[in-house]
Amino acid sequence: MGEKIFIQGNVALAESAIRCGCKYYFGYPITPASEILEYYAAKMPEENGVFIQAETEVSASNMVAGVAATGKRAMMATSGPGISLGAEAISYMCSAQLPAVLVNVMRPGPGDGDIVACQGDYFQAVKGAGHGDYNNIVLAPYSVQEMVDFAPLAFELADKYRNPVLILSDGGLAKVMESAELPDRTTPDSNFDWALTGARNRKANVITTCAKSPKQWEGYNLILQEKFAEMKDAEQRWESYETEDAGLIIVAFGITARIAFSAVRIARENNMKVGMIRPITLWPFPEKAFKGNEDKYFLVSELNAGQMVEDVKLSVNDKRKVSFYGRLGGMTPTPKELYNEICNLYEKHMTCTNV
Amino acid sequence: MLIGKILGTVAAGKGYKVTFAPTYGQEKRGGRTSCQIVISDSMDSPVISEADVILVMDEKSLDDFENSVKKGAYLVVNSSMIKKEVQRQDINVIKAPMNDIAEDMSNPKSANIVALGTVLKLIDSVSYDEISRHLEDTFKGSAVEANKEALQLGYDFVKVK
Repeated sequence: MGEKIFIQGNVALAESAIRCGCKYYFGYPITPASEILEYYAAKMPEENGVFIQAETEVSASNMVAGVAATGKRAMMATSGPGISLGAEAISYMCSAQLPAVLVNVMRPGPGDGDIVACQGDYFQAVKGAGHGDYNNIVLAPYSVQEMVDFAPLAFELADKYRNPVLILSDGGLAKVMESAELPDRTTPDSNFDWALTGARNRKANVITTCAKSPKQWEGYNLILQEKFAEMKDAEQRWESYETEDAGLIIVAFGITARIAFSAVRIARENNMKVGMIRPITLWPFPEKAFKGNEDKYFLVSELNAGQMVEDVKLSVNDKRKVSFYGRLGGMTPTPKELYNEICNLYEKHMTCTNV
Repeated sequence: MLIGKILGTVAAGKGYKVTFAPTYGQEKRGGRTSCQIVISDSMDSPVISEADVILVMDEKSLDDFENSVKKGAYLVVNSSMIKKEVQRQDINVIKAPMNDIAEDMSNPKSANIVALGTVLKLIDSVSYDEISRHLEDTFKGSAVEANKEALQLGYDFVKVK
């Protein structure tokens, strides 16, 4: 680890991915993800890596799958529309058990929308953009430092489970510049016994996404389901802040968690017992974070119409205690705006004389 | 964008927790841009509720951001391009003809650095000297001295503190 540098979120993620050995990048330019592609385009010649600007994300994501089948680290970064196009390949990678990293720098949809911060692709990310019974880990960074840290983490998790991992960033975090510490260079161990490497002096490996029969395919699906269950149990990540004595807990991820963090601090300065749970993995949703807090009041805040609300409701005892505050279309609340919403709920539900 | 980045880079280099959050439209060239900079001892929201200092370069920006200045804090107005009066009475307004100052020194492109100079009088976390030194890394050749002069003129124009 070196000294801290003042760096943009997109660039930080790209540099960190290169440093952890991802030397294959495929993509198509789309704001607000384009700096990742530009950075790879500039760096791959000197790194002796491969950069291809494909004609669409359909082909780029299948190129990622192709490299992943050889056991090498590959990545595609795009925005929501690109994930929509690449969704078929995500399903195929889960089916074929191929480890790769995809990045969605969210912009406001639906459709073209705009190019600023939004979190409207939560469902697309966690409920499955593609077809079939599959899951993939979704990591949601909330700072430039986490854009750095989650690149190697995503590849490690992808390798561990032989499954694609999605980093869910947004048009705000992607463009923000902050101080971050970049990791040292590492060389990943890509000697996987399943990888397609030429089959010299060994039996040929087979990577497939289709069945010989429904019976055989059900057996294979059950193996996948066991793996997803293991991921669900072992990989829940979150951060809790001042939840112990809190009567009201804000649940927010990504850039909204940064805003919520400041709002919670204002609340605490005003002697209000307010805390925060920040899901870091959105799939698996960190239901364990709610252990011991199931009877509290919750305020879910997102830059969408309330897509995470149902996952929070599934993690608590009384669904009626879960409220929502969000903005749409690329609008972002200020910490004060969110604090005012906290005050409204607090007055309604808490016995408090300090508000 | 440039002066925001300069300010952020220098403050981050001093060990502050800094976020520089830019906003711009879909246009390749032109269009309106803005940025929010947080310089803090702890990690904060990159989105600002109320600012200690807001610099507005044109009238549309004045309309959009006048209400985002913290009570008693500073609004710095580029009076070369803003003829409209500021409505709020509860903030300090500093007017500087940034484009005119830059044109008078035959370097109209440096209006942004003049603006940076005016803002520096109002910020405690970074000093005039630190920013001036940083301009040597930001610009090349004759542009270094020209921009240092622009910074000085902007800085000297503001008579507070």
